Amino acid sequence: MSENIKTMHAKNMQQVTLQAKISKSVVKFFTYAFLILMAVIILFPFYWMVISSLKTLEEYRLSVPTLWPRNVMFSNYAEAFTAASLDRLFLNTLYVGVVSTLLSVVITVLSAFAFARLEFKGKDTLFAALLATMMIPGELFTITNYATVTHLGWLNSFTVLIVPFLVSVFYIYLLRQNFLQIPNELYLAAKVDGTSDIKYLWKVMIPLALPTIISITILKMMGSWNSYIWPRLVANDPAHQMITNGLRNAFTDTSGDVNIPVQMAAVAIVSFPLFLVFVFLRKYIMQGVSRSGIKG
Amino acid sequence: MVDSKQQWKAWLYLSPAIVLLLVFTVWPIINTVRMALLENYNGMTAVSGAHFDVGFANFATVINYPQFLNCLKTTAILCVATVPLSTFLALVIAVALNSIRPLQRTLQTIFFLPYVTNSIAIGMVFAAMFNIVGNLFGTENELIVTAGIVNNVIQLFGGEPVNWINAGSTYWANMTVLIIYIVWNALPFKILILLGGLQSINKQYYDAAKVDGTSRRRIFAKITVPLLSPMLAYVIITGFIGGFKEYSSIVGIFGDNMGPAGDAGRLNTIVGFIYKALETNKLGRASAAALILFGIIFVVTMINMQVSKKRVHY
Amino acid sequence: MKKKIIAGILLVAMVLSIGMLAGCNDAKPQGGAQGNFVVPESGYDGSEVTITFYHTMGANLKEKLDLYIPEFNKLYPNITVKHESVGSYDDVRDQISKQIPVGNQPNIAYCYPDHIASYNLAGAVATLDSLIDSKVEVKRADGTTEILGLTDEQKADFIPGYYEEGKTFGDGLMYSLPFSKSTEVLYYNKTFFDEHDLKVPTTWDEMEALCQKIKEIDPKSIPLGIDSEGNLFITMCEQLGTPYTSATGDHYLFNTPENRAFSKRFVDWYKKGYLTTKQIYGSYTSGLFTNEKPDAPTSYMSIGSTGGANHQRPTKDTNGQYRFEVGIASIPQANPEKPKVISQGPSLCIFNKSNPQEVIASWLFAKFFTTNAEFQAEFSMTSGYAPVIKSVEKIPAYAEFLKNSNGGDNITALSQKVALEQQNAYYTSPAFSGSSVARTQVEALLAKCMTEDVAKYGGDLDQMIEKLFQNAIQECEYQG
Repeated sequence: MSENIKTMHAKNMQQVTLQAKISKSVVKFFTYAFLILMAVIILFPFYWMVISSLKTLEEYRLSVPTLWPRNVMFSNYAEAFTAASLDRLFLNTLYVGVVSTLLSVVITVLSAFAFARLEFKGKDTLFAALLATMMIPGELFTITNYATVTHLGWLNSFTVLIVPFLVSVFYIYLLRQNFLQIPNELYLAAKVDGTSDIKYLWKVMIPLALPTIISITILKMMGSWNSYIWPRLVANDPAHQMITNGLRNAFTDTSGDVNIPVQMAAVAIVSFPLFLVFVFLRKYIMQGVSRSGIKG
Repeated sequence: MVDSKQQWKAWLYLSPAIVLLLVFTVWPIINTVRMALLENYNGMTAVSGAHFDVGFANFATVINYPQFLNCLKTTAILCVATVPLSTFLALVIAVALNSIRPLQRTLQTIFFLPYVTNSIAIGMVFAAMFNIVGNLFGTENELIVTAGIVNNVIQLFGGEPVNWINAGSTYWANMTVLIIYIVWNALPFKILILLGGLQSINKQYYDAAKVDGTSRRRIFAKITVPLLSPMLAYVIITGFIGGFKEYSSIVGIFGDNMGPAGDAGRLNTIVGFIYKALETNKLGRASAAALILFGIIFVVTMINMQVSKKRVHY
Repeated sequence: MKKKIIAGILLVAMVLSIGMLAGCNDAKPQGGAQGNFVVPESGYDGSEVTITFYHTMGANLKEKLDLYIPEFNKLYPNITVKHESVGSYDDVRDQISKQIPVGNQPNIAYCYPDHIASYNLAGAVATLDSLIDSKVEVKRADGTTEILGLTDEQKADFIPGYYEEGKTFGDGLMYSLPFSKSTEVLYYNKTFFDEHDLKVPTTWDEMEALCQKIKEIDPKSIPLGIDSEGNLFITMCEQLGTPYTSATGDHYLFNTPENRAFSKRFVDWYKKGYLTTKQIYGSYTSGLFTNEKPDAPTSYMSIGSTGGANHQRPTKDTNGQYRFEVGIASIPQANPEKPKVISQGPSLCIFNKSNPQEVIASWLFAKFFTTNAEFQAEFSMTSGYAPVIKSVEKIPAYAEFLKNSNGGDNITALSQKVALEQQNAYYTSPAFSGSSVARTQVEALLAKCMTEDVAKYGGDLDQMIEKLFQNAIQECEYQG
């Protein structure tokens, strides 16, 4: 009797698992199909950008666009490269990127620590006000800031490229969330032991929040790499010119007519290092974002 | 109790950030308000020493602009359409990505690609994809020389090519293209945040649900979404803020005219209005519009936060 | 949360009130000297100055400029010239607009008349009259002398229409020197014209008859492509002698019965399939003109810029021959007795500075590069833009360039030849702050007249056009 029931039960179980297996692989199939379809949609504009960057201007302007360039014009890339002295541009961008990232991380860590761990009057108000500044369109800042840096005598220097954008409310916010998740008991215990704030920050908080800090570093580097409007305005001399500006200026062919294939090539050149950064540091970026556990 | 030592320490740590913010963020805001209140303030005439009365004329000018309501409408439609759509798509993609092993990294990298490219350049690519070249669109003599890849695909499935962005196209065809582009552009950041959130959800919840034999849909609705709600709230709030500042996507596809040929300005947004005013150095008008925009974003964000307060589970 | 919101609102209110207070202090004038520039009695004193020049040149043109700057420095070694390519024309304008309020603008810049009108609200552009008329002698480093101003020969050497552009600001003063110019011409498929024994149209009436004829030969074609609706509208006003805009008084005058009539005529042509425009077509109409797909419609004429002559040339076939020969002619006229064609392309303006020597040095630079025939010739051959002085034709290399012009490999030369031949027909429209708004509006207006659904206006085309003109004027008044 009981044996019977057992075997029936086992049979049932087998059926259930078989069904589950089938439905599971059907789900898997659709999941992959969906993801791959989305990936193709996401990729298509890139494909278009790359083939456009390899066309001649005449071919690009054809009424009937070609799906593959007739003459593959690698020379567009060479043109985008040589039109600007690229080594100089890379060095400038790297310098600005590294210095501004370092300073920015220090300022962000200190501010996030104050907001996450210290008690002071008006903390919440100040924090809310900081968040509110994110809502204002940036172009209006540019006009006033240009006047400010001119009066400070900072034009055509690395200072003007680095200092005005050192503070990012978004990064402070991100890191504060991360710091908040570290139990306060650790801090109180450290204080009882007589550990200084800086030492505690260095030994406990920073290691625990490292992924977030690395994400911030990467995002900030990306920002420096892509910045365009501000550098063009304040430091467009050869000694301080940044990569995007140098490449952008190389596009105009005769008198201000834009050679779009070369422009596309330049965009591809500028995007490529960022792409590599993401491929190699993807793990850290993901960890940083997931651990910061964005909460209100 | 707030002890005084912590007080000065906090301000000390905050001082570099505060000093920089005062100079490069707070002062520009104050200056914006100043320019908004100087009637017909113009950056160029100001240099030659012109006098400006103090008042609210700039705000009146902005609100009385016949197209202002239209700018608001376009901005609002874009927000309402793109934020839920991109959030939902990003959520589905993130959940799907999280559920697979092979190819996960490759796909993740692909989905992040739009984040690293210049939005104006990609806008030009989108325009080429939706473009349709010909004459007399929408009349009986319509002549189509060639259509972009999107229409080629439609024709492949036996459909009629659609006039998406050219002369004679409808408002909703234009909006469809914009929405697709904006969603495309917004996906990577959202996928990144949501996937990050998913990966930090404790596996125990899912194991427990599995033991109970809970259905997939129920797991999604009862576990995944609630546990992900802080990230969803964040993604939605920042999505709305970004949506109200929409501008470069329209320039990317339709050019400086902010509309299809034959109907320039049809797709203008508030930020587009601000840039137009800046072009002619009408700083007073631009500042007033920026403050109005700030007010709108402020209110919407507050509503968002109120809603999320009720819905978000921490 | 509630506390935060209240606190946030309070903070915003605080910032607002600070702004109010700040608002009470009027902006003080800044920047350098203002008003009309007057040459000091001592003229050029040879002191060391550095001048900055903003332009939009690509690498190949910068090379040409760099070739001639040493020539300039042989004469004036104490003037150091720095120049940079800022991007597009709009980029130049936007950047300088931000710099003028802090007195940080360059010394010389590429400009269009409406840019000058905008800079002029700040009194930032130096007037050139006093410099042009100055007879003060200037010593050059090679031991020779020249007068600071322009000699009569130099003045007469400029192509008049280009030169007059500097005076279109309503006050009769001169604000810019032409640097490099382009105009619109009619490109036509010479092979097709010869084959069917067609005559190149010189008037719009001939154009209409010709379009009809071409439609009969090739019903699938769109005979005429137009690359700029704006140029068409403004040029029509000029050819008919009807008002477009005015630099003084009421600015926006283009809503007249005559202008509505010619717009209606083009709408009619469009509906008959005679013409298309770049905006409506969805791509450069040169693409339609040079189209190579045998079954696709083509155009046989194209009105476009001389600067883009290369794009109007078809690709070569498998035998290495161009698929057809391109002919270039002046655009059709309303009144062939009084031809009018638009003048485009950059001029140079000089900015006021507190040190008058900087202004004088900038003038010497601008004068050198606009009056130097070798430079003008070489720059034109590279850029495809037309030179601004007549004496370039005496430069052997340039004469050779023009002599070898044809509708194939040397199409650039052919376009410049036509541009030089019509040198008495150039006009420029009035410039004032907001003239670019008018241009944008009429461009959109013509396209809108063609594509708007007349049923929305009860099927009354005249009423529709009138309404659209009114809207355009309204928009101009608001934005300008």
